[in-house]
Parts: sequence; structure tokens; C-alpha cells
Amino acid sequence: MSQRNVIRVSELAIAISLFEVGSTTLFFIGGEAKQDAWLAMLVGALAGLFLLLMHLSIHHQEPHLDLFLLFRRYMGKYVGTFVNLLFVGYFSYESSRNLRDFGEITVMTLLNRTSLWIIMLIVILVVSNSMRYGHIVMFRICVIFFPIMLVSYILISILIPVTGLFHFEFMLPVLESGWKPVLDAALPEIVSFPFGQTILFLVFYPHVRTGKGLNKAVITCYVITALALTFINQLNIFVLGPKIALYSTLPLLETVQLIDLAEVFERMDALFTMLLFLGLGVKMGAFFNGAIIGLEKITGIAYKKWVVPVAILIYGLAFLSPNYTHHIVIGRQLVLNYLFPVFQIVLPLLLFIIILIRKRKKRTNRSASEKT
Amino acid sequence: MLKYWIKNVLKPSKGSKQDAVKSKHQALNEPINASLASTLSTLKKKLGQSPDFTIRDFSDDPEHAGLLAVCYIEGLIDPGLLSDLIESLVKEIAHTPSDRLEEHLAASLIKQTLPLGNIKRIDSQNQIYQAVLKGSAVILIDGLQSALTVSIAGGVRRAVEEPTSQGVVRGPKEGFTEDISTNITLIRRKLRTPDLKFDSHIIGQYSQTVVIVTYIEGIADPGVVQEITKRLQAIDTDSILESGYIEEFIQDAPLTPFPTMLNSERPDTVAGSLLDGQVAVMVDGTPFVLIAPVTFYNFFQISEDYYQRYDISSFLRMIRLISFLVSLLLPSLFIALTTFHQEMIPTILLVTLAAQREGVPFPALLEALMMELTFEVIREAGVRMPRAIGPAISIVGALVIGQAAVEAGLVSGAMVIVVSFTAISNFVIPYISMATAVRLLRFVLMLLAGTLGLFGIMAGIVPILAHLLSLKSFGVDYLMPYSPMYKSNMKDLLIRVPWWAMKTRPNIKSGSNKSRQAPHQYPTGSNNIARRADEPEPKA
Repeated sequence: MSQRNVIRVSELAIAISLFEVGSTTLFFIGGEAKQDAWLAMLVGALAGLFLLLMHLSIHHQEPHLDLFLLFRRYMGKYVGTFVNLLFVGYFSYESSRNLRDFGEITVMTLLNRTSLWIIMLIVILVVSNSMRYGHIVMFRICVIFFPIMLVSYILISILIPVTGLFHFEFMLPVLESGWKPVLDAALPEIVSFPFGQTILFLVFYPHVRTGKGLNKAVITCYVITALALTFINQLNIFVLGPKIALYSTLPLLETVQLIDLAEVFERMDALFTMLLFLGLGVKMGAFFNGAIIGLEKITGIAYKKWVVPVAILIYGLAFLSPNYTHHIVIGRQLVLNYLFPVFQIVLPLLLFIIILIRKRKKRTNRSASEKT
Repeated sequence: MLKYWIKNVLKPSKGSKQDAVKSKHQALNEPINASLASTLSTLKKKLGQSPDFTIRDFSDDPEHAGLLAVCYIEGLIDPGLLSDLIESLVKEIAHTPSDRLEEHLAASLIKQTLPLGNIKRIDSQNQIYQAVLKGSAVILIDGLQSALTVSIAGGVRRAVEEPTSQGVVRGPKEGFTEDISTNITLIRRKLRTPDLKFDSHIIGQYSQTVVIVTYIEGIADPGVVQEITKRLQAIDTDSILESGYIEEFIQDAPLTPFPTMLNSERPDTVAGSLLDGQVAVMVDGTPFVLIAPVTFYNFFQISEDYYQRYDISSFLRMIRLISFLVSLLLPSLFIALTTFHQEMIPTILLVTLAAQREGVPFPALLEALMMELTFEVIREAGVRMPRAIGPAISIVGALVIGQAAVEAGLVSGAMVIVVSFTAISNFVIPYISMATAVRLLRFVLMLLAGTLGLFGIMAGIVPILAHLLSLKSFGVDYLMPYSPMYKSNMKDLLIRVPWWAMKTRPNIKSGSNKSRQAPHQYPTGSNNIARRADEPEPKA
């Protein structure tokens, strides 16, 4: 592999961070736990961390194989290809959900009179144009966006307390009704979204420049991002209180709208929407890329030829729900609990166990043959 | 799709290319006729009609008549050198017996007699034309199947003057000229090292333009030099009249608004780039020298940055980058905010803006497009018009674009401010090739902003970014030190660190020799002197 197609560890770390932020800030996560959403987030993040560790150890077992090749190697040609197709479908679906979110937010906040399909068409065109250049450009775009996102979120976190919107008492009492609602909220919803989605990066780990520090960088970055997300999620509680936060469509947007600094920086929500766009675009692009790479690995047809078909597929999938409420109910209640865990937990775990068993068998075989 | 079309439709058919190559070969191979008379008659037939082509055959000298001739083109040679040449030729002939003139004369002329250097022996008819057209005198001797060329090029040249397009306040004031040998000298005077190489190529079937690849051996990346040479040799066209031709033939991405080669008419800029490990391509007939490989940020670094104090240089560099963004985005942001996102504008300002726009019949997009196009027209007129009527244009421009348009209710006052500030920001970008890229993209972004607001701007910027990230200039990523990140190259990017801290060259562009200076170059200050002052004066 040429130097050119190698992802740097720093680029990967930044991409994981942006990917995790992604569409997470759109929603208020862990609403069932009310003011204890932060505990639910932390529990979810911890569970996600275990998943991430599992992904990394799968990667270290076979550092040259990506997600798709791993399944084919360890589950046989037919079952492996079938699972690969499922994953391509999963990635495309995740991507299409982001596309729909993108379109709906735009219609809700910026362009009330433009039709959804036009906006989604433009978005899919822009994103697939960026995908055309391959995964390396996607990672570098993340590097460009990263400072913007970082500065903006830090700015939001500073401006909210400065302008007197911060109400610490909203998050009291802690654990009002015990751990049960917290755990209910965290498992498996928060694991499935956003933390378990890191399964996607099993596609990219083999492209990362080899060397030490991959684990450290990925885990550090994951932990910091998870903590930051927890804080930003909790901002909704601090500003809006648990009730409004739970029932608001775009809670963080509402929070940001309240910022008013010296009558000059008011109504920053349009800019904040741009920020949401960046996150959504990155996440959508990453899943898009994963789906294309999957199809390339399954069929052997070149990467570039899959861009348009996958774009059409994602665009079509984005119209599955008749309206936004339906979209949200499906997305935040059904698939999170029943569908996504299959891809994020069950299948990787299965793979991990198979790898371990095979390796052990090989080792015992080898030691047996050495003895004789 | 576009690429495919360009490849298939715009590329010439293979047959015509082969024919051209074949005829070229035939002409090259034609040997020189041993008989002077026949050679001269062929020459006359080919070149003799032009009034500036001269043949001196010494027909007055009874002993040597018909044995020797010198031919040259009047305007391309230096008359002083020519008279030296003729004088020594006459002397030489007088000493030589006429029967063994041929070989003896040629040998002695080459070896010693002529007071000039750069004498060559040539064997083919075609080389005679080339030599004559390049400004050499060709000495033809009867009975010899070869000829001698003596380079006495001269003629009218522009003097070295201050560059018109890339001025500085502090720094050398000399600029390149149209003459390539002068340009070589200008670079040589700055870099007196034997490692400075000049590789010469001749490109263009009709123009026979001299194109020279310049680099410092050991500092430039040999791979890049090789690649540039390879691409130059692949050019087969009728003429190269300016370095822009070369740029379009050899750049990495044929379809991009962004320049992937830098052009400069300043010898100090070129010398600095060579020291950074870049390679320069000089073209005869133009003062603009190409530099490659370049990154996006190179277009915001000018030579004066390195002559001024580093703090102000860093500040100015940031100003330039911000101006780039302003020039790209300001009109579209203004359109987007006033049309779609009025809530983001502070209320009092919004009221003022609304009051200004009260009498304006057009939507903001149309207003902005009109103003921008008007400005482009005035700008183009300013470049093309005869110098004498310059003031007229600027008065009309100021009145039309400014006051009158507002008073007539065609545009709002705020729009005039936005457009003129955009225009001024565009002039801050030091290299015109980058500034023009922005000019074009600005219109695209304005259209997007006028139809889709901030969302549209976003939809315009992301493809530009993706394009920039995938763009390469001779193997170097266009956004190089930032993405992919190279920390060691960052010290000459947004900020320009002091010279004593600039220890290495930009490492991706350069070859093996990375270190720019010895360590510990930090100025020691005046401690030593101060201590001397504190010491008691020695007693007499």
C-alpha cells in the first residue's frame, strides 16, 4: 500500500471523535433517566468502551483484514458474504437516517419553504462527491472540520454559563428513583447510539499507519469525546430542565437560541445548525464510505463505480418514513433496541469468539504437532 | 464524464502526430552539402527572402572567393561581437594557404583563433537554420561536410526593471525580463553555488522556445525534477509563447480553478523557492517563472515576509488568509443573511439595512450579481485601457458603482460596501492566479447563497474543500502542512518564525539536504559590549 492511502493515527482519532459527536448533539440522549441523563450517558459510554476494546482486539488478531474480510475469513465464503451484505445494508441505513435527519433539520430551521427531497438530493450529491475521492479525503476533511467543531462547542459551553442560563439545580436530586431508570435508558439505547457505532471503524483500522499508539489514541479520544458529549448532553438539562429537554425536538438548538450576548451575538441557531450539519455530514460520509468499501470487497468492482449506486440506495432509504415523527420513533425506539445491537454487539461478539476458538485450536494443533 | 470527453474529443488523432514526427526526422537527418555554393543556395531559398538574413561570402578577396561564408540574422546578433568575429576570420584566412583551407581552418578556428567562446560544429542542414534563428553566426567552409556556429546572440532587450505585478516595499527591486539569459544571470547572482543546475529543453515546433528547469542539486527532490523533465519532454506543440502554456500542459489536475504552479517575476522569490527545495521552470520570452511543487499556503507567502520583522510578517500573512476568505465568502454570506437568516443580524442593523433596501426593486442576489459583474467590467477595463484615459475610467467607476447606483435606487448602500470590500480583499491575495480562482468561485457561492442560504454556502464549500484535499502539485498534497499535518513545516505557515528559528527546510518538498542553518543561531545580544562598558577604563 502506498504512503498516500495510509491514514495517520491522529487523523483516525480526530475522525472517531467527530463521528461520535456526529448527530448525537441533535437529540437529548437518555431522556428516560431525566436529570440523571449524564449517568445514563456514562454507563452507555462505559459499555461502548468495552465494545471498542473488543473491536480493537479483533483488529489486533488480524491487523490486515477489515470487517468484511474478517467475516469472510472466519465464517466461510457464503455465510461471510451474507453477513457482509447485512453490514452494507446496516451502514447504508445508518447513512440514510443521517440524511433524513439532515433534511428534516434544514426544513425545520433554515429553509422552511424548500421541499425535503431537494435538500436531501443536494446533500447526497455533495456527500457522494466527497466520497468519490476515497476514504483518505474523508479523513482529511474531518481534520479540517475538527477545529471548527472544537472551538464552537467550547464557545457554547462557555457562553451558556456566562449569559446566566446555567441552572445547576435542574440536575438535582441525583438518582431520584434509583439506578433502574438510568440503566434502562442506557442499555441498549445509548450503547447503540452513539457509542456502539464505532464498529464502522473496523473497516478503517487496517488502513491506519501501523505502529504503536493506535490503541492509546483511539481509547483516549473515545473517552474524551464521551465525556464531552455527556457534558453537552447535560447542558440541555442545565438550561431547559428535564421536562422541556425531553419533549423538545431539537433541544440543544433551543438551548443555543437562548444565548444572547450584548445584543450582538443573538440567535446563533443558524450557525449552530451549520455545526450540526458538519457532524451529520461526517457521520453520513463515514457510513457511506463503509458501505462502498463493503461492496467493493464483496464484488471486487472498483470503489468509484459503487459511489452512485450506493448514493441512490441511501437516498431511497431516506424516504422510508412518511414523516419526521415516524422517522424518530423508528430510529430512537425500534431499531436502537432490536436491530442495531445485532450489528454492534451480537455479530462482532460472535466473530470475536470464533477468532479466539480458531486461534486456540491452531495453537493446540501446533503444540500437539510439536510434541509428537 | 468531462474528463472522458476532453480526452476523446480534444485530443488530436494519432495519425497526424505520427506524420509530424516523421517529417521532423527527415529534416533533421539531411546532411550539409560539401559544396558551399549549393548550401548557400538552399539557405537562400529557405531564408533568403527575409530582409534581415545576411550572408557574407568575402567575394572581394580574389584568393579566397567562394571558399568561405558567414551567415546570420541581423536583429538577433550583437554587432560588436560580429565585427570581432569577421576581423579574426579575415586574419586567419590571410595566414592560411588556399589549397588546404577546409580542415585546417575549421580545426584552428575551434581551437584557438576566434576570440569567442561557445563554438560548435554541426552536421545537418536543419541545425544551420536552428543556429541562425537562435542568434548564432554560422561559418560555412567549401568542401567541408559540416559547419561552425558561433553564438553571438544579442539584439534589442528590455533592461532589468522593477516588477510591475509583484511589488514590495522592502527588498530587491529587480525583476525578470523577457530574455532568458538575463534571467539565468539574475538567479545566479543570488545563488553562487555549483549545485545550481539549469537543464535546458527546446519545446515548440515553430517557436523553438528555450525552457529551462532550474533547481539546486541536493536540496530539490530528484523525483520531482525527473517528473517535471518527463512532463516537459512529453509536450509536443507548435509554440510556447508564455509560461502559461507550460503550466497548462504539465499541471497535475487539468480541471481545477486553483493554480498548482506558482508564477513569479521576482528573482528573490525564485531563489527562495529553490532554497526551499522547489524547482523553477523558466521560459524564454516571458518574465514569469514557474515554481513547482507548490502548496496552497505558498500563494500567501511573499518574499517581503522574510525581509520584514517576523511579527509584522506573521500578522500580514494572517490578514492575507482572512482576505482570501472574505473575498470568497463575504458577498454570499451577506446575501444569505439578508435573504434567509435575518434573525442573525442585530436588530438595529437589520432595521437600517431594511430601510436602505426599501427602494431597491431587486432581490439581494441579483443586486450583488449586478454589482460584482459591474466591478469585473470596470476592473477589466482598467487593465486593458490605454494608460492616458485611466483617470476617466476610475471616475466613471467610482461614480457608477458607488454613489449614482445607490441614489438611483438600483442597489443599497450596504451592498456597495460589501462589493467594494470584497474587491479590495481580492487584491490582497499576492498571486493573481490564486485571486482569479477566488473570483470565479465567488460567483458560484453567491448563486448558491441566493437560492439556499447558509445551507447553500455549505453545499458549495464542502466540494471545494474535498477538491482541495484531493489536489496535488507534483506529488505534494495541496494543503500540505495542515492536512496531512507536518508539524515541522508549520513554522512558515500562519506565522513566520524568526530566521534563527527556521532550522529546516519544508521537508516534504525538498530532497536530502534538510537543515537550513547551523544550530544556535539565536542572537547573543549586546551582553559582551555592555560588559565592556562596565569595566573600568584601563589606566594609561
